[in-house]
Amino acid sequence: MGKVTYDAIVVGGGIAGCEAALNIANNDFNVLLIEKDLSVGGKMILLSKVFPTLDCSACITTPKISEMARHPNITIFTGSELQKVSKYGDNLFEVSIVKNPRYVNIEDCTGCQLCEQACPVTVPDQYQLDMVGRKAAYIPFSIANPRVAAIDIDNCTLCGACEKVCPTKCIDFTQEKEEWIIHVKTVILATGFNLFNPEMIPRYGFGLYKNVVTSMQMERQLAPTRPFHTVLRPGDGKVPDRIAYILCTGSRDASVGNTMCSQICCMYSIKQAQLLMGALPMADVTIYYIDIRAFGKGFNEFYEQALGMGVNFVKGKIGKISEKKNGDLVLRYEDVCSGKLQEAEHDMVVLSVGVVANQDAQKYFTDLTLKKDRHHFVQQVDPLLNPSKTSIEGVFVAGSVSGPMDIPDSILSAGAASVEAINHIIQFS
Amino acid sequence: MGTLNAKFGKKLAKYGTFDFSACYNCGNCTAVCSLTDQEESFPRNMVRYSVLGLEDEIKSSLKPWLCYYCGDCSAYCPQEAFPGELMMSLRRWLTSRYDWTRLAGLFYRSVIWNIIAFLLIAAGVITYAFHVNFSLEHVMHVGHLFEIVAIAAVFAIILMPNIVRMWWFTIAKSGEKIPVKAYLISLRELFLHMFTQKRTLDCEKHTFRWLEHLILVIGYLTLLFTTVFLDWFSARNKIVIVFGYIVSGLVFIVTFHFVFNRIIKSKEVSRFSHHSDWFFVIWLFFMGITAFVVRLYIDINIIEDNLWLYLVHLIILVQWAVIIVPFGKWTHFLYRSFAMYFKKVLTSANQ
Repeated sequence: MGKVTYDAIVVGGGIAGCEAALNIANNDFNVLLIEKDLSVGGKMILLSKVFPTLDCSACITTPKISEMARHPNITIFTGSELQKVSKYGDNLFEVSIVKNPRYVNIEDCTGCQLCEQACPVTVPDQYQLDMVGRKAAYIPFSIANPRVAAIDIDNCTLCGACEKVCPTKCIDFTQEKEEWIIHVKTVILATGFNLFNPEMIPRYGFGLYKNVVTSMQMERQLAPTRPFHTVLRPGDGKVPDRIAYILCTGSRDASVGNTMCSQICCMYSIKQAQLLMGALPMADVTIYYIDIRAFGKGFNEFYEQALGMGVNFVKGKIGKISEKKNGDLVLRYEDVCSGKLQEAEHDMVVLSVGVVANQDAQKYFTDLTLKKDRHHFVQQVDPLLNPSKTSIEGVFVAGSVSGPMDIPDSILSAGAASVEAINHIIQFS
Repeated sequence: MGTLNAKFGKKLAKYGTFDFSACYNCGNCTAVCSLTDQEESFPRNMVRYSVLGLEDEIKSSLKPWLCYYCGDCSAYCPQEAFPGELMMSLRRWLTSRYDWTRLAGLFYRSVIWNIIAFLLIAAGVITYAFHVNFSLEHVMHVGHLFEIVAIAAVFAIILMPNIVRMWWFTIAKSGEKIPVKAYLISLRELFLHMFTQKRTLDCEKHTFRWLEHLILVIGYLTLLFTTVFLDWFSARNKIVIVFGYIVSGLVFIVTFHFVFNRIIKSKEVSRFSHHSDWFFVIWLFFMGITAFVVRLYIDINIIEDNLWLYLVHLIILVQWAVIIVPFGKWTHFLYRSFAMYFKKVLTSANQ
């Protein structure tokens, strides 16, 4: 077991967690960052481009991630889950962590991918949102960090093919779960958000109709590390001509229990629409909306740019979708501007799924009370003047764990949280 | 354009609606509705009119009657604005607007007035019975006469003029020229919908409800026919007697199920009940069951000693015929079928 005392722990290795960890480490404090996934980078590293600048998401995420990963003051635990946080003495926290076995020695793996080629098992690739397959011995994705192999033990047949081909003999099936107890002075929660599960709206047929996808699936198809060379609809691999976006899928909708505006869907849909017009110049892209909320700096211009490019905006929420025999989809809606019921046919439907709270953070605190707001996000007890403060002194929030926000806001929030955390460390050292 | 009326929502609240001003105009209600089509898009349109208080527009619209309340729009409304319940309330409000006596509005808005009217009627019937020394023969004879007179009078004095008013508001007032031929060729639609309510079948998942409702309508109409024209309570013909038992049985069994649904609120359609809904189903239930038991008592020859039973039946009957039929929920039987008829008239005139 390594060092068991750190100045700070950052829970979650998404862009907010990375930013917070970097800020604290740059001020000469030791940070432990734990990430439940196999790679840090969170959701941002999987995106195509970012609004409203259309910067390549991977290109701006990876330098920050690398800087963080190689920082001498930062220790990273990937594939690890936080179990419990409790008070230890007056000003310390005791954190218990379970580090899941990767069955690969991170230090020795060169990322040569020979194990991947040797592995006979193919399963859906979760990093490509199940649109293509991957092996049971695999590197999560090409820009993963650490970019080393892992064994998916649930799907592994223990055939040993990977062990045989591995040039550095880094595959180790004897690895076991490690339990760590760590003492820290401050905790930053950066566990992020979940995307709304569109299966909760059966009228949209997600999971039933093959050509209804989520915006995250479309995002992957547009990313530089995309699964295909072009945009394909999943049903039959056809390049779609008529693509529809359904905004507010699972946001601002009391009937699915989420009345909040997710703040990002309008803009990421507009962004994807613009990218689609580049990727498929002949395609028609229609965005069905309730209201376009382009409130940030440069957002409205970005919206107008999409209008100028010929993206079709239709005011009206889609009531239901039905599938035709050839896989095309019929969307039923009221064109609110004319007040008439309409039906429109599309090749592919993208559900612009909203942001819902990731409630993992509440589970860590059993002795202490981490208050949540009515939308189940972690409550900011002083949202205006001290937005990173929570109901527990010494525990701070960074990024979308406290509510929906876009990338710049997450970075700002992480900055605020790291300053508060540093203050807390200094005060109680 | 009509006049804006911000207080319309408050007015409508007495007819049972909720806060429909929560509506953010996404059109989801219209899009999930199985009955809406390109010519007649609702209910969002009616929600909008109600928010703005455009009473004239609502009054001239047939749309509230074209909704058969499956409840999908309310169940899937992102803002919990309950458009389905608003449509229901608009039907109640329209009933009160069509009614020239204005009594429908009074009874819809106030439970107290309903109860007062019911009590007055009960007192009247008992006083009359007292007046004739509780002679069964006398009371039953007058009861039967009353049925015939009440049907004719309610129809001629209240319902007919109200339908003419409905026609005036929805068709004639706009000044559109409608050829007589359009009225004639559309007549089929009126009777088709009056006796089948087949539009309910277009609501998804409503087949059983339609069947139940159809049985109730047919049962009710035949019960009416049996008691009034075949004089069931005095009948000696075995077939008529058995027939009466069957139809009165159907009426109270189906209405019992309706009342039960409204109590357990299992479906969106029975989730909210206005007092007019309760009065309608409960009185219908009582009508069926008291008629059934009265005839049973006649058949086992104990009605002479149990005059009270017939009196209860008569009180229910008079309350039904004088309050609920002309001013209560019963009228939807007519307005719904006439709405389908008028809709057909308008479309055939436009062709």
